[in-house]
Amino acid sequence: MRRISRIAAPVLALGLILAACGDDSDSSTEDTTAAAEEGAVDVASLGLIAEGKLTVCTDAPYPPFEFQDETTKEWTGFDMDVVREIAGGIGSGLELAVTVQPFDGIWLAPKAGTCDMVASAMTITEERSANALFTDGYFDADQSLLVRAEDKDALTSLEALAGKTIAVQTGTTGETYAQDNATDSTLKSFDESAAMFLALESGDVDAILQDLPVNAERALKDDKTALTASFSTGEQYGFAVSQDNTALGDALNAGIAEIKVNGKYDEIYAKYFAK
Amino acid sequence: MSLSRRQRLRLVRGGVYAATIAALVLILLAVDWGALGGALFKWEIVKEQFPDILTNALRNTVIFTIFGFAGGLSLGLLLAIMRLSSVKPYRWFAATYIEVLRGIPLLVTLLILGFGIPIATGWQWPNPYIQGSVPLALVAGAYIAETVRAGIEAVPRGQMEAARSLGMSYTRAMTTIIIPQAFRIIVPPLTNEFVLLIKDTSLISVLGVTASTLDLARFGRNGVNDTANATPLVVAGFVYLALTIPLTQLAAWMERRSKAGRR
Repeated sequence: MRRISRIAAPVLALGLILAACGDDSDSSTEDTTAAAEEGAVDVASLGLIAEGKLTVCTDAPYPPFEFQDETTKEWTGFDMDVVREIAGGIGSGLELAVTVQPFDGIWLAPKAGTCDMVASAMTITEERSANALFTDGYFDADQSLLVRAEDKDALTSLEALAGKTIAVQTGTTGETYAQDNATDSTLKSFDESAAMFLALESGDVDAILQDLPVNAERALKDDKTALTASFSTGEQYGFAVSQDNTALGDALNAGIAEIKVNGKYDEIYAKYFAK
Repeated sequence: MSLSRRQRLRLVRGGVYAATIAALVLILLAVDWGALGGALFKWEIVKEQFPDILTNALRNTVIFTIFGFAGGLSLGLLLAIMRLSSVKPYRWFAATYIEVLRGIPLLVTLLILGFGIPIATGWQWPNPYIQGSVPLALVAGAYIAETVRAGIEAVPRGQMEAARSLGMSYTRAMTTIIIPQAFRIIVPPLTNEFVLLIKDTSLISVLGVTASTLDLARFGRNGVNDTANATPLVVAGFVYLALTIPLTQLAAWMERRSKAGRR
């Protein structure tokens, strides 16, 4: 009962262990092209909190976007790979450092100086844009419904969930989407997706409404659950930096454009989302 | 040139006071109060928190605390008596229970009992208040048992011996002579348990919260999401204090009164 409210501490400490970065071989060729196209990015102007490192705040684990590789302990996942690729192309190549924190208000972290940027499967919203500078979108943020396998044929839409309980993650666009569209259901909000999956399995909730790739990954790994619906929201994930740091925002946008052109983006996409 | 002991002491003490005042002045000057107020105590946002923070969040925190403490105290009393019993299996059970429940973080106990039991058995918790309060009470019971045991053991042995020699049964002596005296002794540590319990209710939100079951901490955190400002957390902090400070004062008063009664 005492002093355990900080149970999150070990998790945070784990996250604070800076993940080393590879990819040196790839970045050397990209350096020359990037430098040739737009003049070398002045790394000093990016206001990085740790020299030579791009420090990223993320709410992990959140597979397939951010998680630690079981054997190498290296931060991996779609977001992490994309950021690592972009970081390798900034200046003479930046290393990726990861800081784990809860999703709640994570977009404020660069302003607070906790990290340089946020990469956390985060949807670009007007509300968040008021307090953070978002990059261009790099991923379509569709929402989806995950239900217990035995409800697979019954709970295929939000209408079918009227009077039932839907789990959402606090502070996410999934929560907002549910508040706007699932008005006949009871919403139960959770701090993290692990607890939501437990709640679904235990019968405490009847469905989980959250980002499609996360639910899809779960349905794939766990045959007690099934994905029954997905909703296009027309929204996209973006990285966030402090509003005072337009230089870093520009560098990231250039990086996103770069990897979409040179095929790296498709390569990473295929690694995590190809069926 | 040599100072007397008293002069030296006065000098040192004067130095400490001077340093404290200098540090306070420095802090007052260094802090940008306007920015701090804007980030932590924006008046419009403070007003928005009421009355919901009291009618909903505070209410839930109080419900969880009362269920948790009532359950924990009854269980703790029972376990303490078992722990001191002359029947060995009772002692073993109580000792094991206390070690296990005290050794596992409440957050983990909440998840195991809140979700693990339904997953394993198919049985469902009847409502979220019970789902959150029962693990809280079970863990509180383990701590309170040790406090109560210490209190019972602090009552002089002669009290029990005198009661028994007057012909009272063990149970009667325990309930009318020993336990009342033990409770006087443990009012301060028990208050401590109670205050810890109030704050521990903030962990229950790991089981998920609906709009009507959120506690003070969750309310403050949701407010941060809605307003993009830390003010709701600060307001929640003040409401916790408004709950705990009167309680600790009440306990201090009870302590003073019971001391006066013994004189």
